[in-house]
Amino acid sequence: MSSPHRTPMPSAEQPRTNSNIRLSVEQVSYAYTPHTSQAPLFTLEALSFQAKPGEIVAILGPNACGKSTLLKLISGALEPLSGRIFLNGFVTHTLPTKTRAQRIAMVQQESALLFPSRAWEFVLQGRHPYGGGVRFETEEDVTIATNALTQVGANHLSNRWMDKISGGEKQRIILARALAQQPLLLLLDEPTLHLDIGAQVDLLDSLRRLATTNRYTVVVVTHELNLAGEYADQVVLLQKGKCLRVGPPASVFQRELLEQVFQAPLSVEMTSSGRPRVTLFSNK
Amino acid sequence: MRPLTLTRLLLRCTMLLGVLFVVVVIALKLGAVQVSLYGLGRDLVRVLLGHSSGISTDYGMIVMDIRLPRILLGIVVGASLSVAGASFQALLRNPLADPYVLGVSSGAAVGAILALIAENDLALSPEMAGVITPLGAFLGAAITIAAVYLLGLRDGQIDSSTLLLGGIITASFLSAVIIFLMSTLGGSNLRGTVFWLMGDLSTPQPRSLLYLLSFGFLVAAGAIYTTAADLNLLLAGEKEAMHLGVDVPRVRIVVYLAASILTGLAVSVSGTIGYVGLLVPHLMRLIFGSDHRMLLPASAIGGAIVLVIADTLARTVAAPSDLSVGAVTALVGAPFFIYLLRRRNA
Amino acid sequence: MPRIASILKVPAVGVALGFAFLSTAQSSAQATAPSAATQPATHEVVDEMGRSVRVPVSPSRVVSLAPSLTETVYALGLQGHLVGDTEYCDYPPEARKKPKVGGAINPNLEEIVALHPDLVLVTKSLNRLETVRALDVLGIPSYATDPHTVEEIISSTQKLADLLGAPVAGKTLSVELQNRLATLETRLAGIPPTRVLFIVWTEPLMSVGKDTFIADALRKAGAVSIVDSTRDWPQMNLEEVVRLQPDCLVFASSHSEAAARDFAALADRPGWRLLEAVHNHHYAVISDAVNRPAPRIVSAIEELAHQLHPAVFQETGAPGKDASPVREPTLPPAKPAAAWLRAPASTMATEFSCAL
Repeated sequence: MSSPHRTPMPSAEQPRTNSNIRLSVEQVSYAYTPHTSQAPLFTLEALSFQAKPGEIVAILGPNACGKSTLLKLISGALEPLSGRIFLNGFVTHTLPTKTRAQRIAMVQQESALLFPSRAWEFVLQGRHPYGGGVRFETEEDVTIATNALTQVGANHLSNRWMDKISGGEKQRIILARALAQQPLLLLLDEPTLHLDIGAQVDLLDSLRRLATTNRYTVVVVTHELNLAGEYADQVVLLQKGKCLRVGPPASVFQRELLEQVFQAPLSVEMTSSGRPRVTLFSNK
Repeated sequence: MRPLTLTRLLLRCTMLLGVLFVVVVIALKLGAVQVSLYGLGRDLVRVLLGHSSGISTDYGMIVMDIRLPRILLGIVVGASLSVAGASFQALLRNPLADPYVLGVSSGAAVGAILALIAENDLALSPEMAGVITPLGAFLGAAITIAAVYLLGLRDGQIDSSTLLLGGIITASFLSAVIIFLMSTLGGSNLRGTVFWLMGDLSTPQPRSLLYLLSFGFLVAAGAIYTTAADLNLLLAGEKEAMHLGVDVPRVRIVVYLAASILTGLAVSVSGTIGYVGLLVPHLMRLIFGSDHRMLLPASAIGGAIVLVIADTLARTVAAPSDLSVGAVTALVGAPFFIYLLRRRNA
Repeated sequence: MPRIASILKVPAVGVALGFAFLSTAQSSAQATAPSAATQPATHEVVDEMGRSVRVPVSPSRVVSLAPSLTETVYALGLQGHLVGDTEYCDYPPEARKKPKVGGAINPNLEEIVALHPDLVLVTKSLNRLETVRALDVLGIPSYATDPHTVEEIISSTQKLADLLGAPVAGKTLSVELQNRLATLETRLAGIPPTRVLFIVWTEPLMSVGKDTFIADALRKAGAVSIVDSTRDWPQMNLEEVVRLQPDCLVFASSHSEAAARDFAALADRPGWRLLEAVHNHHYAVISDAVNRPAPRIVSAIEELAHQLHPAVFQETGAPGKDASPVREPTLPPAKPAAAWLRAPASTMATEFSCAL
């Protein structure tokens, strides 16, 4: 498996780098004002964390705790009310859309195409941020896209129509497209929601492998406790917009803390590999 | 994996242009009056070489002054409507979108009717009289474009579904205005209006207007073409497109304005010819796929081919009567549309 | 580089189009040049729309784009000059044999040009402005008529005769028509006009406006239209008509049997029985010549006058001479089952349903 060829960054920008921290979320909060006359609703209160290349960060919490909002802020789609988010020293929100797409890749759960296309066409879309105006794909683009497909183990699907493949296979193609963007940051919002267990494990294994090989920083939003516990290097635990704890899974997965956040009785064990495993009990 | 390359694009376009050329030659030959292909070819060569006086005036006038301008008008209108249709389908993420869905044509119709009424009451010089109806139509179109744009704004940006709703409501309102105006019109005004609404290429237009039309087509279609790759991504959804580097607000404005202007220009000179803007993009998608870098030029040339064929049928099928080209496109277009629908559901 | 090349493709098409346009611009100028060399004498005239047009002094190849104009040409005896007319030109029957150029509203320009006309006749109430403009662009002179009263129809006829180089024929015909109208006026002097509703269409109910030539024709026939509208074809509200209670309904039809059927159907409809005229079967049917602004309208006027005011014409058995050879056919007697419905009178019948 070859590493994708990296295109050099423009030298005009002045990054503010700090050793090997890639993603830095600093005192970021967000409020949503439904109407000008109403008071803003705080979806996210100030929180901070940092991530390195090769790390998987899980943003964990029950429904409506602000996880998706946090992901949108990291992706640059939303502007934080306070604080800033740095990616290799650049403030994500102020980057031009094209540049941002070269560094941050969002992996959707689904992709609803109006007119179906083939898998390879879909993956090639990931090369869009690297062209301007009227642009045709180059040999290099084709190589990168092929490599991306190889890395997710979906080469055999290359010629298939997107609307004729299964959910798990589609997820791989969507991931391949994100890889074709050659990003620094991979963002995933509840990627395991529609997948069966085998596919879930497949996906997380791939993410783990890719993060290490290609030195991505991966941020995954999830409410699956055990997946977060098994695969994440860092966990950001959220409840109702507040960040309760940030740290490696072993330190975040404390029984009382998790019970309070998820409102369910559970028990936490440590496995031999040093990772926590959570078992749920019935409420009786 | 075989992505679209410039070479393949140019090759396919040349092929389509070849088909267009053949269709044009056949269209020049056919008509209420018989014209021989050999004589036609000989005269065309003479014209291109500048020896126009060698044309026999028998059918020279018919071909050069009646048929050829009509065919050229059909080419530009057909191309404009098809490109606008493909663009709206991408912008609104709706395969049923056609150039008229946002009300531009209804606005143009109101403008044209008011111009027709004014024309009768004012004493106009011949030059003015020739352009007042297209001018009025284009003014009506422009006002509608601005109004629908304002209606489609949400938080300061165009939102596709809001735009679609605003456009449909505007179209509906303007249609009611048209019916009201028509019910108060007298005889010849009414006839002119009905003709205009059905779509008609038979009226020779002033040269300056045709040049303006072609220039407008090139500029607007060119502008849309610069967003062709973006449109491919836009089909997947605006959020996804943004995450892949598409400047969605800019693309929306450019495509909306350019496609609306294309529609406004086409409708101003030819009335509302239906089905071309809706079906030609679908037909081209069937043949060439949904990549807009190929689809847009293919739709332009395909639209030209389809409209020239329809117009030729309109003026030959019931000779010496001149059928309305809009009637022909509807008669042929509707069954084809049904076929497309069934194909999708299969 | 690829970017530039792909954008160049678009202007390339434009350049090709441009060439084509330019070449047509050239050829158009050239094509009309030869005809200029052999052009016969022309003069400027002003047509009835106020347009100043340059026409040949004696046109020999005339195309008519309206049935009324075709009729007028035949009435003047100038049909030898007529080289083409519309599909709807059916009177006189010989007119049907002329080469056709399509409809009045959408004539085929190619057919017109193929006939090499030196003059095209149009009328404002039927033909489109676009057609006139198209003819201008092609360099074919067109003359438009626009009569709004019966007098104007007659003067139009005279002007057309002058235009076509036969002023004597025009004078003869217009004098004859004036005389017939004058005779009618004399006979009808002092008689109160019958209040009528002229029915153009029944569903929706449409009549004629007061500024139309049909309304004027009604006046000349000793009637007055109850419709007081400035629009040409006003749609009538049945309640309003009931309130006005016309004394007689007037239909124009080429077949009186069809008219009888129409009236029967009408009488059956709810609301219509409220009209006295329907209740008492007071209706008149005249030839559809009344719809065309041509010399034959005077015959229709005479016909109507006879039906409305038979007493005035008792001493003369037949109506005045008319130029048209076609008469309205005598109807079969009413069937017993529909005895209540009287057949519309022909000019020879003794009973007139609208006689008051």
